[in-house]
Order: sequence, then C-alpha cells, then structure tokens
Amino acid sequence: MSELTIAMPKGRIFEEAYVLLQKAGFKLPDDLEDSRKLIVEVPNERIRFILAKPMDVPVYVEHGVADIGIAGKDVLLEQKRSVHELLDLKISQCYIATAGLPNTIMNDIAPRVATKYPEIASNFYKEKGEQVEIIGLNGSIELAPMIGLADRIVDIVSTGRTLKENGLVEYEHIVDVTSRLIANPVSYRLKSERIRDMVKRLKDSME
Amino acid sequence: MTPIRKFEKPLGMRDSFPLINEKKEEVRDVGRRFFQSRGFDFIKTPTVEYYETIGKASAIPDSSLFKLVDRQGETLVLRPDMTTPIVRVATSKLLKEQIPLRLAYFANVFRAQEHEGGRPAEFEQMGVELIGDDSVYADAEMIITASEFVQELGIDSYRLTVGHAGLLQSILTQLTQSEEQVKELRKLLVEKNMVGFEDAVRTFGLSNEDEQSSIEFIGQASNVQSIQQLRPFIDETNDAQVTMFSYLNDLSSILENAGLSKMITYDLTLTSEMSYYTGMLFEVFASGSGFAIGNGGRYDGLLQAFNSEVGATGFGLRVDRLLEVMTTTTTCEPHTLIFFDSANYAKAVVDAAELRNQGIRTTIQYKESVEDQQAFQSNFSDVVWLIEGDGNNE
Repeated sequence: MSELTIAMPKGRIFEEAYVLLQKAGFKLPDDLEDSRKLIVEVPNERIRFILAKPMDVPVYVEHGVADIGIAGKDVLLEQKRSVHELLDLKISQCYIATAGLPNTIMNDIAPRVATKYPEIASNFYKEKGEQVEIIGLNGSIELAPMIGLADRIVDIVSTGRTLKENGLVEYEHIVDVTSRLIANPVSYRLKSERIRDMVKRLKDSME
Repeated sequence: MTPIRKFEKPLGMRDSFPLINEKKEEVRDVGRRFFQSRGFDFIKTPTVEYYETIGKASAIPDSSLFKLVDRQGETLVLRPDMTTPIVRVATSKLLKEQIPLRLAYFANVFRAQEHEGGRPAEFEQMGVELIGDDSVYADAEMIITASEFVQELGIDSYRLTVGHAGLLQSILTQLTQSEEQVKELRKLLVEKNMVGFEDAVRTFGLSNEDEQSSIEFIGQASNVQSIQQLRPFIDETNDAQVTMFSYLNDLSSILENAGLSKMITYDLTLTSEMSYYTGMLFEVFASGSGFAIGNGGRYDGLLQAFNSEVGATGFGLRVDRLLEVMTTTTTCEPHTLIFFDSANYAKAVVDAAELRNQGIRTTIQYKESVEDQQAFQSNFSDVVWLIEGDGNNE
C-alpha cells in the first residue's frame, strides 16, 4: 500500500474533515497530541497529514507534494489550479455574496469592490456586465464599506452575523461553498487504488 | 516596480547550468538514437512563426502565447508547441515527397510567463509525429514508442492513461440534449471536476435514466484496467460508437501483445484542452513529478486546419519533467588537469593531446592565472604538474 499525503486546512475544517475520515473507517487517533505540528503521521493507515493554510492546500496538491487535499470551493474558484475535484464533502457550508451599507447604490464612475477573492469578484461583475475596480484585502473585509474604501464587498458568508453586527446587508448571492476532496492529477493515476478507495468510503459514509 | 537587477532573467526563464545541461543532452542523445532507430527523422523549425497560422492553429490558448510584431506589422509568436509547425511543414511540402511521414523533434517551446514558480516560460519538448497513417497500428506505435522511450531513460514507475476523444464526444452527445451541454461537460472533464460534472448533469433536466447513466459514466469509466469494463457505456445501436469501441479494442490487444498491459489504464472520460484531438489520446505520468510528463494522441483535426485530409498521430514529452523523474546517476567521468608554467606550455599541449587521444577529458591551465589552487583542483579527478623545478609527475 503506497503512502498517501493529505493536505488539510488548519482550523475548523480540519476537525470536521477528520471526523469524516474516521466515520469512513480510517483508524485515526482521536486527538492529535501536538496541535502545532505541521506534519502528522498515521503509520498504521499509511497516511501523512500536512497542515496548511486553507488558501495554500491547492498549491501543495497541484505541485504534487500532497497527493490529495481538502479545500473550500471558494479557494478552488479563486485560484483555478489544475487539480482534480473528486468529491463534495458537504462540510463547512457557506456561500459567497456581495454586501454593502443598506440602501446604497454603486458609484457610477468608479464602483469599487473590496474582497479577498479578486478573481471571483471580477468574474461575477463581468458576468453582470459591470466594470468595477477591485481592491484586494486580506481580512476584516467588512471594514471597507464602513469607512468608505469601497461600495461593495465580496466575501464569504456563513451565518450573516458578522455582516449584521457591522451594519451591512447582503445584496447578491454569488455561489454556494462547501469543502471538496481534491487530488493531484499524477497521484490520481499512480495511487488510483488508494484514492478511489478513499472516495468510495467517504461517499458511503456520507449517505 | 523595483528596478531590474543585473542578475535577473525575464520571468519564467531558466539557465541550464552545466550539470543540468549535460543531463538534457543525454536525454537528447538517447532520444536521437532511439527515435532514429525506429525510422523517425529529426526536424527543426523556426523559433518564430506567424500568429495567423501557427498561433491560431495551435491549441495553446491565446493568453499563453508570446507575441511580437515584425517590421511589416504582422503578429508573430514564439512557437508554443512543435506539432503545429511540423504539420505546417508536412502539409506544405514533405507529404508530397513521402507518405506516411515519421518525424521527430527536440526543441524549446514557449508559453507566456506566469508569476508563480514551477511553470517555466520556456522548456524543451521531445516527441514524434506520424503523419499520413490513420490506422490503429499508427496509434499503437505512438503509445508503444512513448512507453519504451520512457523505459529507455530508466524510468520504471510510469503509467499511461488512454482515452478516445471521438468516443467521449459521441457518448456525451447521446446523454445530453444540446451542443452547449456537451461543451460544458467536456470542459469539466478537462479539469476532471467530478463534483462539477455531477452538479451540471443535475441542472440539465435530463431524463432520469440519462442523468443516472451520466453519473455512472463519470464514476466508472475512468481508470479501468481492461477495455471490456467500458463496454456497458457503449450504445450497441449507435454504429459510430460501436466502430470506435472496436477500434479501442484492437488498440488494446496490440498494446497487450507489446507487454504494456500493466502500464496502461483506460479512461473514457479523458479529454484535453487541445481541441484538435479527434481519436485516441493518452497521457504519461511518472512518480517524481506532480505534473504529467507527456501526452499525445490522434489529431486529424489539426491537419484539416491546414487543408489536408490525411490522418496524423504523435506525442510529446516534456524534457524538464523527464529530468525530474529520472534517477540521477552521477557518473564521475575522469577529467585530468594539467597545470603548466610558461616554460612548459609546449609540453602541456603535447601531453594533453596524448591524453585526449586515449579518450581522457583533459584541461590545460596556466598555473599563475589560478588564485585558489586547491579549490580549482577539486573539480578534477587527476592533476598533472608541468612546473619548472617540480619533479612530480614529470
């Protein structure tokens, strides 16, 4: 049995995905002793986890240093990396939407949109037939309309509480997001048995 | 923009230092002998071609082309692949002299610069084209040649995945209701986006039966060991499909007889962004690189773009990725250094000629020009001193 390297996003998605793998019958220790470790080996299952920033998971998988990975659809849409998207794990459900201050319209001359998803945002407005200026931010996107940096934001929404607490309203729903199991194209061929087995077991346990 | 520093190269460009360069030359040498022994003739074409012809006909997206403008105002491209230029030469000239035609190449090709590492803007490709033969034997020859060449390079852990563009097109057409739907599904298959494929199929509003078959198709028609496992997806009443399937069947038995069964998996969902593939297509993978090391297939469609009706098939391998997966054998070739001073120059030349005649790589070096003797010496397997008053090795 070949060793499988799995890139996992740190944080909440990791825990959910870990439980999914356990439910699918993978014998993983209940708690990983040192949470600051970046590489965790599970020798009896021949699995090695690497813990990465969610945005970086597709990078490791695309370059083949991880065979498979778990990544949010938002990250996949934003980065367009050549990885195979094998399974919708249906965890960490949320969506991407536009939001802004209530009862406002976009600036006519230079509408500005703040986001950490420049690709998704500009595609969305292009499809709508609007040309907007994108301002890239790395976090606390809600600030942008509040202090007049942008007319709209494009951001991930799970409960909508952050928007509400900051006095913003949602305008348009762009796309639903869940976590996906992704694979490197070469690993998908060379380790196909293991990967297909994992997909099947995850699928069965989700039903 | 920070100013360009002296040491910088344009984005995506790489130097080949002597060690890497030697390895590349080795691959080239092995390839030259290997492909020539199988009746392929090597060809070179210009680095720069017209955008109107090569640029548009090649399946490389426009945004990935390096473009220039010549003095007449024509747009030029740095060749993005070798197949298209070879088809240009073949259809305009060579095919009139010989048909079928077997051509091989080893050449650098160019793709627009990417900001991220790991994607060179210039890299070498090695491959062959067989033009003017539309038989299954020609396709089999390509797969076998690619496979045996990879073996010849000492790469054991490789796999080939074989599919059929025409058959896929026909199956998708049958399962869906419109050209657009086929296109959308094909695009999802290029990315192997299984989740997207299933979602798309569900939104098409197909009959329950077609929806179910589509989902089974994507789940089960990829990665099979035997072509027979694909039979359930063939509509026995569709003559075109039956013909293409029996073609794949023939191909598979030729490959089996060539002893390649263990290396090959079949994948009916395999497709490529190269829209000119019309028949069989394949990809080559090896452990050690996260990317496919090569691909190939039948591209009759490209010949049609050059007003030719003959069939063509071929493959190309990426030399940069071959180097990644090849086991490094650092053979230390003997290399002699002769240090000389002004009095012994003539003798150094004679001695060096003698050593080179024996086939030993020899460098002669005026000793006074070398500042750090120890460091310089360490690059050689043997050192000879031709220095006045130094009796060693005289």
